[in-house]
Amino acid sequence: MKLIFQSFLYCCLLATVAHCVELEVNPELKKRISIWLGSRLRRDLDSVSVEKTEESEHFVRPEDIRDTLLPHSSTDINVRTKRSKNSANQSRRQGCSLGTCTVHDLAHRLHQLNNKLKIGSAPIDKISPQGYGRRRRSLPVHRVTLRLEQGRLRPVWSITDSQVHKLEALLRRT
Amino acid sequence: MAKRKMDSIGQSGMVALILLCSLTKIFVKASLEVNETHQQHPNVYHDMGVTRNKIVTAQFECYQKIMKDNTQSREEPMCNRTWDGWLCWDDTKSGIVSEQHCPDYFQDFDPSEMVTKICTDSGHWFLHPESNRTWTNYTRCNEHTNEGRVTAMNHFYLTVIGHGLSLTSLFISLGIFFHFKSLSCQRITLHKNLFFSFVLNSVITIIWLTAVANNQELVQRNPTSCKVSQFIHLYLFGCNYFWMLCEGIYLHTLIVVAVFAEKQNLMWYYLLGWGFPLIPACIHAIARSYYYNDNCWISSKTSLLYIIHGPICAALVVNLFFLLNIVRVLITKLKVTHQAESSLYMKAVRATLILVPLLGIQFVLLPYKPGGRVSSEIYDYIMHILMHYQGLLVATIFCFFNGEVQAVLRRHWNQYQIQFGSSVGNHSDALRSASYTASSITEVQGCYTIDSHTEHMNGKGFHDAEASMLKSDSPFA
Repeated sequence: MKLIFQSFLYCCLLATVAHCVELEVNPELKKRISIWLGSRLRRDLDSVSVEKTEESEHFVRPEDIRDTLLPHSSTDINVRTKRSKNSANQSRRQGCSLGTCTVHDLAHRLHQLNNKLKIGSAPIDKISPQGYGRRRRSLPVHRVTLRLEQGRLRPVWSITDSQVHKLEALLRRT
Repeated sequence: MAKRKMDSIGQSGMVALILLCSLTKIFVKASLEVNETHQQHPNVYHDMGVTRNKIVTAQFECYQKIMKDNTQSREEPMCNRTWDGWLCWDDTKSGIVSEQHCPDYFQDFDPSEMVTKICTDSGHWFLHPESNRTWTNYTRCNEHTNEGRVTAMNHFYLTVIGHGLSLTSLFISLGIFFHFKSLSCQRITLHKNLFFSFVLNSVITIIWLTAVANNQELVQRNPTSCKVSQFIHLYLFGCNYFWMLCEGIYLHTLIVVAVFAEKQNLMWYYLLGWGFPLIPACIHAIARSYYYNDNCWISSKTSLLYIIHGPICAALVVNLFFLLNIVRVLITKLKVTHQAESSLYMKAVRATLILVPLLGIQFVLLPYKPGGRVSSEIYDYIMHILMHYQGLLVATIFCFFNGEVQAVLRRHWNQYQIQFGSSVGNHSDALRSASYTASSITEVQGCYTIDSHTEHMNGKGFHDAEASMLKSDSPFA
C-alpha cells in the first residue's frame, strides 16, 4: 500500500520532470532549441514593434520603410524573414503553458474578447470558397529601382507615402 | 515579542489593504475619466482602424519578404510564396499542408486555432472545387468562437465567485485567529501570513480581472498605474505560493528534521514569504519593459512569464518532496504505535489530502496544459477551480475544521450564553461549558507544547503536531 502510494507520487514527479529531460537527452535538439529561442525572443520583440505600429495611427512609420528597404544596412529585415519562416510551420503554443499561468491566460482572453476596437466578426464571404487565398498579385518589385550610390546598390522607392496609400487602397478593394 | 510581531503584521496588513483600496479608487476614477473623454469624442477610433492597419502591416511585411530572397534552387515542384489577403505563406514543398495560427484581426478569430493551406502534388496551391480559385482554409478560426466566449465568461464568473467566497472565509478565519489570542503559536502565525497572502492575492486578482482586463480604454491608454498593478499582481501571486513553501518548510522542519529543536526563528520565513517573490517580480518587470513591452503587460503569449512561474513551480516541487517525506515519517511513526493497518493508512491518506491544498501540490500533479481543444478546456476548468477556491479550502480546513479553533469558539459561545442567556435552570448547559473549557485548555496547551518542545522531546511533541494537523476526527469521520 505504502509502496503503491509512494510510487504513484514519484510517477507524477517523473512526468513533471520528463518534459524538460526529454529535450536535454537529444543532443541534436539542443542546437535547434538555442536557435529557436533566439528567434523566439526576436519574434517577441518584433511583435511588440508591430503592436506599436498598430497603436500609432500611422500604420507604417517612415523610419520603418527606410530601414527595411536597405537590406544590407539593417538587421531588421533579417528578423522579419525569420519570423515569417517560423510562422509557416509553427505548431507550438507561445507563452506559458504551466498550470499556474491560467490566470494570465484568462485575463488575456477577457482582454481580447472585449476588444471593441477590432471588427467584431470576420467577413463570411472571405472565408467562403469564393474568398481569401485567391489573389496572386505580381510582386511590387518593379516599383523599386536600384541605384548605385557610393559604390553600393540601393533600392529606391519613388515616394514612400504614396506607396502606403496605394497598399491601403489595394486592401480596400479586396 | 510574538504579540508585537503580530501587531506589526496586523498594522502592515491594514496599510496594504488601504493601499489596495486606494488603487481600486484610482482605477475607478481612471475608467470614469476615460468614459467621459470617450463620450466627448465618440469617433476617436475609426471603425476598422486597428484591423485594417494590422492587415496592411502584415501585407507590407509579406511583400518585403517575398521580394527579399526569391532566388532559391528548386529541384522539386514547390508552391510559391504568396500573400493570400490575410496571411503570408512561405514556399512549400508539394504535397504538404502548411499551417499557421489564425490572425488576430477580428474579434471572433481565435489565435490559437490553425489556418491551413494545401500545396498539391503538382506544386500549386489548392484550388477550391466550388469556385476553382486558390483557397486558404480559414473556417476553423471562428468555428468555436462563441463557445470560447461562453467558456471565458464562465471562467471569469467562476474566478470572481471563488475569490469572493475565499475572501469571506479568509477574513472570518483571520478575524478568529487575531481575536482569540489563546490560539497564537508559531503554526498559527504562519497560517495567518499564508491567509493574508491569499487575501491580498484574491483582491489584486479581482481588481486585475475586472478593472484592467475588462477595461479596453484603460489598456489602450496604457498608463503606468496598470503596469504597476500587474507588477503587484505578480508579486502577490508569488508571495502566495512562497508562503505555501514556508508552510511546507515549517512542517518539514518540525516533523522530520528538528524534533529536538527549539522554537524556530520566523525571520527567515518572513524573508522567504514576503521578500523573495520581489526578485522574480522585479526581473520580470525589467525584462518585460525591455523585450515585450505590451500595453499593461497583459499579454500571456510571452515566455517571460516563466520568470515568475519557474520559481513558483520549483517551490511547489520542493513542497511535494516535503509532503512525501512528511507522509513517510508519519507512517513510520504511526507504525511504532502498533495501530491497525487500515486506520494507519486512512490517517496517512487523510493527512495527505489535508496537506495538498495547504502546500499547493495540486499544481504539481497537473503541471502542463494539454494540447487539444476539449482537453485544454477541461484542464482550464479544473485549474480555475483549484486555484481560485484554494483560499476557501485552506480557510475551511485549517480554521473552521480545526479542533482548537472549534473548541475556543465553543467555549466563548458558552460563556456568552451564560452571561446573557437565561441563567435560571440551565445547569446542564453550564456543566457542559465547563467541560468544554477544560478540553479547550488542554488543546491550547497542546499548541504550546508544539511550540516549545520542552517536555515532549522524543516523538511525543511530534504526535501532538500530528494530532493538531490531523485533528480531523470529528469533521472527517
